Amino acid sequence: MNEFVIRTHNLTKKYHDRAAVNSLNLSIGRGEIYGFLGPNGAGKTTTIRMLLGLIRPTSGKVEIFGKDLQKDRLNILKKVGSLVEYPSYYGHLSAVENLEAIRRILNLPKSRIAEVLDIVSLTKEARRSVKGYSLGMKQRLGIASALLGSPELLILDEPTNGLDPSGIQEIRELIKRMPKEHGITVLVSSHLLSEVELMAGSVGIIAQGRMVFQDTIEHLQHQASSTIEMTVSEPEAAVWIARDSGLTGQLQEGRIHFDGLSNTQVAGLVRRLVENKHDIYRVEEKRKSLEDIFMQIVGTGGSL
Amino acid sequence: MKAFFRVLSAERLKMSKSYLWLIVLASPVLAALIGMLVSSELAEWPLLLGGMSLFHAMLFLPVMTGLFSSFICRYEHTGGGWKSLLALPVSRTAVYLAKFTVVICLLALTQILLLGAILITGRIIHISSPIPWHMLLQSILGGWVACLPLAALQMFASLRWASFAAPLVVNVIFTIPNILITNSATYGPYYPWAQPFLAMMPKGMNGYDFGAFNLPFESLMITVLGGFVLFFASGLVYFNRKEV
Repeated sequence: MNEFVIRTHNLTKKYHDRAAVNSLNLSIGRGEIYGFLGPNGAGKTTTIRMLLGLIRPTSGKVEIFGKDLQKDRLNILKKVGSLVEYPSYYGHLSAVENLEAIRRILNLPKSRIAEVLDIVSLTKEARRSVKGYSLGMKQRLGIASALLGSPELLILDEPTNGLDPSGIQEIRELIKRMPKEHGITVLVSSHLLSEVELMAGSVGIIAQGRMVFQDTIEHLQHQASSTIEMTVSEPEAAVWIARDSGLTGQLQEGRIHFDGLSNTQVAGLVRRLVENKHDIYRVEEKRKSLEDIFMQIVGTGGSL
Repeated sequence: MKAFFRVLSAERLKMSKSYLWLIVLASPVLAALIGMLVSSELAEWPLLLGGMSLFHAMLFLPVMTGLFSSFICRYEHTGGGWKSLLALPVSRTAVYLAKFTVVICLLALTQILLLGAILITGRIIHISSPIPWHMLLQSILGGWVACLPLAALQMFASLRWASFAAPLVVNVIFTIPNILITNSATYGPYYPWAQPFLAMMPKGMNGYDFGAFNLPFESLMITVLGGFVLFFASGLVYFNRKEV
């Protein structure tokens, strides 16, 4: 974890004074799967384009494998595989020919093509022209092209965009295997936390060009403020007793909800209720879902 | 340099399964038909060359130059292809050079086919005088060189606009006034769309001794090369700075 594969220092990209990416400090450790999250238009793709040297940052610096991207671009890119936005392919060519075009540029042995086709399970369809492929197959071909050069770092921009649930599942399993089986560090972007939480160890959340959260998934879960929910025999009376001891509870469908109670507060309240002859049926802790936290952090109430 | 040949070989593969070769064939075949239809009056080499290369040089060659340039950029413009191509460890200069090389090789192929068509037509219509190699090669080779500025200009346009059709339409619009612009000895030599026409028509041919056609071949070539360097360099600088 001490060794960073990607680090950015105050990375900024401005278009006509509007900052699409604003002082971003990204750090991704070796062997990690890093989920890069944010609503559409938050600056994910712009950041990824800067990481690949496709656009120049307005200010700030990108370091990959400890080297400055601006100075060492070609050497760095030899060890990076990427899939940005859409899988790019030449429709009139077959999967093998598509990979062959990239293989020629990367100057690799021919055997690599069969290997990557096998990894993404496209071997059977490899001789068909890509035009007739389903979106999921095209996406897998895109990942195959990204893997062709045996990269140490894989950058995937929204690889599950537009896929059906089984397609999403397939891609997710594929990505999860990368660090384990091939020792590859993965940066995967998405606008859905639920897609990333099952594979990523760390997440970075970006909103309006700024990094608003960057840590492990576990820490993200800890961010969730929990609610205590009580079910008692006489809820109305119980709310008054609670208020008497300085705790505000909301009554909803016969249950009382309290925000952020400490252990001693819960114990004190239970004791008082029992002393006042209330029957207590349930005391439950409700945690917010990750998606709720994500919404809370990103600060947009609407859909992402 | 190695990177250039690797990209070139990838570009060749992408082109190999397209129907572009049909377009390469079209103009020489058409020229051969023209040559045979009016053969009785053209039973001399300069007349045959002039007759066969008239439409080719005035119309088809500039249009094809634009078409090849658009075609070579087409696959990258659809579906984020530039991003994946330029995220590979190759310099943009190597990509630009490779793409340009494919365009000018296709043009060279067209010119060679036209030369073949002229020689075969000459044989069929029994031209008795010896083959004037100097004149033929100057016309074929000169026509090819005169396409270079236009090819560079069209590459620039094709890189700039994601649309496949827009640069082509613009190209055709600028090609059509060729016959008028060649009338002007002042402006004709500088007009990239007319340069192939001026370079290919045989010197002193009956009916082509007006306007810019009177210019010596050498001074036309100097203008052509100057234009080429200008457009090629601008395109290369643009491509290296392009935000992908």
